[in-house]
Amino acid sequence: METTATILHADLDAFYASVEQLLDPSLRGKPIAVGGGVVLAASYEARAFGVRGGMPGRKARELCPQLIFVGGNFSHYQRLGDAAIKVLDDFTPVVERISIDEAFADVAGCTHLFGQPREIATAIRRRVRAELGLPISIGVARTKHLAKIASQVAKPDGLVVVDPGTELAFLHDLPVSLMWGVGPATKARLAEIGVETIGELARTHSGALTRLLGPAAGEKLAALSWNRDPRKLETRRRAHSAGAQSALGQKPAVARVIVPTLLHLADRVASRLRAKARPGRTVTVRVRFADLSAVTRSITLDQPISATTMLAEIAGDLVRGVLGDHPREKTISLLAISVSHLEESAELQLDLPLGLADEKRRPGSKKGLARFGADRAIDKIRERFGKQAVGYGTVALEAARSVPDEFRELAEKEL
Amino acid sequence: MRVILERSNLLKSLNHVHRVVERRNTIPILSNVLLSAEGASLEMKATDLDLEVTEATPAKVERGGATTVPAHLLYDIVRKLSDGAEVMLKTDEDGNAMTVTSGRSSFRLQCLPQSDFPELSAGSFSHIFRLDSVALKGLIEKTQFAISTEETRYYLNGIYLHTHEVGGKLKLRSVATDGHRLARAEIDAPAGSEGMPGIIIPRKTVSELQKLVDDPDVAVTTELSDTKIRFTIGSVVLTSKLIDGTFPDYQRVIPTGNDKKLILDRQSFAAAVDRVSTISSERGRAVKLSISEGQVTLAVNNPDSGSATEELAADYSSDPIEIGFNAKYLLDVAAQLTGTEAKFMLADAGSPTLIHDMADETALYVLMPMRV
Repeated sequence: METTATILHADLDAFYASVEQLLDPSLRGKPIAVGGGVVLAASYEARAFGVRGGMPGRKARELCPQLIFVGGNFSHYQRLGDAAIKVLDDFTPVVERISIDEAFADVAGCTHLFGQPREIATAIRRRVRAELGLPISIGVARTKHLAKIASQVAKPDGLVVVDPGTELAFLHDLPVSLMWGVGPATKARLAEIGVETIGELARTHSGALTRLLGPAAGEKLAALSWNRDPRKLETRRRAHSAGAQSALGQKPAVARVIVPTLLHLADRVASRLRAKARPGRTVTVRVRFADLSAVTRSITLDQPISATTMLAEIAGDLVRGVLGDHPREKTISLLAISVSHLEESAELQLDLPLGLADEKRRPGSKKGLARFGADRAIDKIRERFGKQAVGYGTVALEAARSVPDEFRELAEKEL
Repeated sequence: MRVILERSNLLKSLNHVHRVVERRNTIPILSNVLLSAEGASLEMKATDLDLEVTEATPAKVERGGATTVPAHLLYDIVRKLSDGAEVMLKTDEDGNAMTVTSGRSSFRLQCLPQSDFPELSAGSFSHIFRLDSVALKGLIEKTQFAISTEETRYYLNGIYLHTHEVGGKLKLRSVATDGHRLARAEIDAPAGSEGMPGIIIPRKTVSELQKLVDDPDVAVTTELSDTKIRFTIGSVVLTSKLIDGTFPDYQRVIPTGNDKKLILDRQSFAAAVDRVSTISSERGRAVKLSISEGQVTLAVNNPDSGSATEELAADYSSDPIEIGFNAKYLLDVAAQLTGTEAKFMLADAGSPTLIHDMADETALYVLMPMRV
């Protein structure tokens, strides 16, 4: 590990809401939320009232009656997000963007040009504020994990540099929920054994963690709690997977809900795979139940796929498998599909026409080729006439969505 | 039980039997080999509940009896004993342990009661016939490589053995396919096989059987019903469940109208495929064949590392064609062919291609191209 803290994690504050306030000065200083049925993002003024992203609009209004809802200016999000990350590029070539509004940068090689990491981070923050009018928080540390935690602590509009000597002292007082990989479910499990801070996690016996979280997650969290994070910045990152998810509120776990949702998710994922000409071999689904506990299931196929209907059907089988194993769960709150083991190859092994029942799920069969051909035709129409021009019937006929697809695309986009 | 026998006899039989035992078992007794001493022989039996192998070997039985001990452990012990030694197997009074003694070496193994050892009830067989080991070996080896490993297509996870009438003569055929390629071999149907059901012999059984028929001139007695099959090869008896499924109608994928004939020297072709595919990536394995009058050009293109081509003289006089194949599939077929020349019957770049062994008309291979 490096002896000085040179990894920056830069994260735009309340990004979507900040952009709206930038575009419409009358919104500045006021509690605003992007979205409608569901809060997609909330300004810091709104957060002070307890409004959070993902919250139903009605509940947000109850918490903050003067809350102003605004629609999304999606094209501006992309433009301003790109421009902010571009500022990092001016300082170092080692930049790993991880989403629309956050990126890592390693400044180890450019301190002789621009000064100490703290000075570089200050300069970046000043430029983003001056040139784009947006607040950005930066964490600086020796590891990616700690830099990300530091930027969360720095918010809003702040800078936190964690010097190597003070790392554990800094880390161990913080709540576990700041750690990468600790969501509500893991947080709740850890709370059951009395672990609420990262320090308590660090002092928990590794066997207990493994029993609680499984061997992979247990070991990972234990290492992170001692600031052991060997991950390097991946500047030329090729996507390892593509995924999409849909929060459903509380819906009955029946085909009428599941089938169109999966087809819609598959459409989003598979069209991205086709656009990059990178079909994938492993399909993973995630089913979240009413109590927010979730089950993940995956299958690795013989041949990589990128046809929408194939993906939807395979995902459907996996979801049915999950529900079959959890017969008491009657309500689902989220479905997600992801495809990994992406492959480059344009070569496709064709199938012997044996007339088997599962042929339509094989990319090399006659039926599989026909499905792929139909999808490519849809892709071409959408390129010319827009996303809504054509689609699968069950998806198009589904009720209006609470979250616009443009917003999902920004979040799911490959950067 | 107290029995003395030659280490070499014990090793040979254990070698046949212990392979059936899976390395990881959830049911402890399945890790064990059943030893039964009676008369003048020691019988060994192992099973994975789908497949059972039994072999008897001559032994001096001082006290009859039976027990079970860990199969791989016993095999490893016997393997390391000195050649030509005698081995004594003796169970304790209470039957909880067995001692293996040879020369100055002595091992104590924990036993499980023989009464717990599962019996693969064979039921009754509807058909019985004899094959010579060479013929059986041929049926297996020419097709085994094409068996599918995909669990979801369990009915392709074995060799389909069935009778088929060709020109008024009954043939016994073996067929295997993984959905991309198909291999078919046939012999004259042996007496007794008439009217047998078409059966699918599981991959593991096929592979054990193949190892057991290495001896060239042994008659193999085959007994079968529609759920089980039993092969008796000398002193070894292999009984196996069959795959409960329907093998697809494979005839429909064997092309009959392919009119582009390509004849190649088998060894030079295989060597050329092997050479050009050196450049291919792990998963992109296509080799493109550009076939024109008198010549074939093999080409592999890997965007990450480069490309390779090789030209090869060929007997070809139809219209030029370009067609891609998985290099491994071409090599697998080439390895099965026995003649100096291989004959390809092609239609187009998206249709099944037929490959014949010029020296053996009974074998036939179908290969689906890759789209390149």
